Amino acid sequence: MDDLIKLVKTYRFTAGVTERIPLAEKIFTRIEPDLRLFVFSSVAHQNAQDVLQEVLKAVATSLKQFQGGTEKEFWAWCYRIARNKLSDHFRKQATDRIQTVPPEDLWQMMDLSAQDAPISTATRHDLEYAMKLLTASKPECYDFLWNHFVFGRDYGDIAEERGMSYDNVRMKIGRCLEEAQSLVKNTALVA
Amino acid sequence: MAELSPKEQLAFHEFSVRYRAAYAKKHPCPPQSLEVVREALWGEYEKEQEANRGPKIETPKIEPPTPAAGREPNEPDQDR
Repeated sequence: MDDLIKLVKTYRFTAGVTERIPLAEKIFTRIEPDLRLFVFSSVAHQNAQDVLQEVLKAVATSLKQFQGGTEKEFWAWCYRIARNKLSDHFRKQATDRIQTVPPEDLWQMMDLSAQDAPISTATRHDLEYAMKLLTASKPECYDFLWNHFVFGRDYGDIAEERGMSYDNVRMKIGRCLEEAQSLVKNTALVA
Repeated sequence: MAELSPKEQLAFHEFSVRYRAAYAKKHPCPPQSLEVVREALWGEYEKEQEANRGPKIETPKIEPPTPAAGREPNEPDQDR
């Protein structure tokens, strides 16, 4: 499989639209599922498809302006665009935010992944713990934890889009984690 | 404030990798999404072409000469 960042760099230096389109197809075949997941885990499904289309258009038409040099920078750039489109959508429909994913849906995805990479008992135990933390988190924490731990976005990117300081985001995620850990611990004690 | 142990960090990483892989497997990029991308790129290309052409210069219209109404054709020069 082609290196994603190589494709993006090649795209940047390609002038003709007929040469650009096949490269863009390769790039979007790789990134669309992650962008879809990002959008569909944030917006109610009846509107998510429209928002996703806006995200894809925005990424496609800005692709030549991407200045970074690493895959991590490219993903951060894509997620920034996606987050801006989500914010546009929420300005119009503030109540359209999605709720947490139920644990059984998360397990379903883990079982699907196990078809390609089997899960050992120890890993299964670790995954269960991670999923418990995510699903135990309070609604206002859910988005922070998913952005940071599932989409791999760093504190700086989350801070920028939310108009918060880096340290505030770091502390917020820490507190969310602490609360989730405490909830999971209490649930385990009760059980 | 909670800090993740290396084991917990690994657990989240493993979860993230698996979740995204499973999602991509369940929802591979559909042809409609690639169509949206193609259309956006063609639209962008057309805009670029238009911008490169620059603003249209208004050229004065040249009307074909028409005989002025009521004007009689020139008489041959009788004095020559």
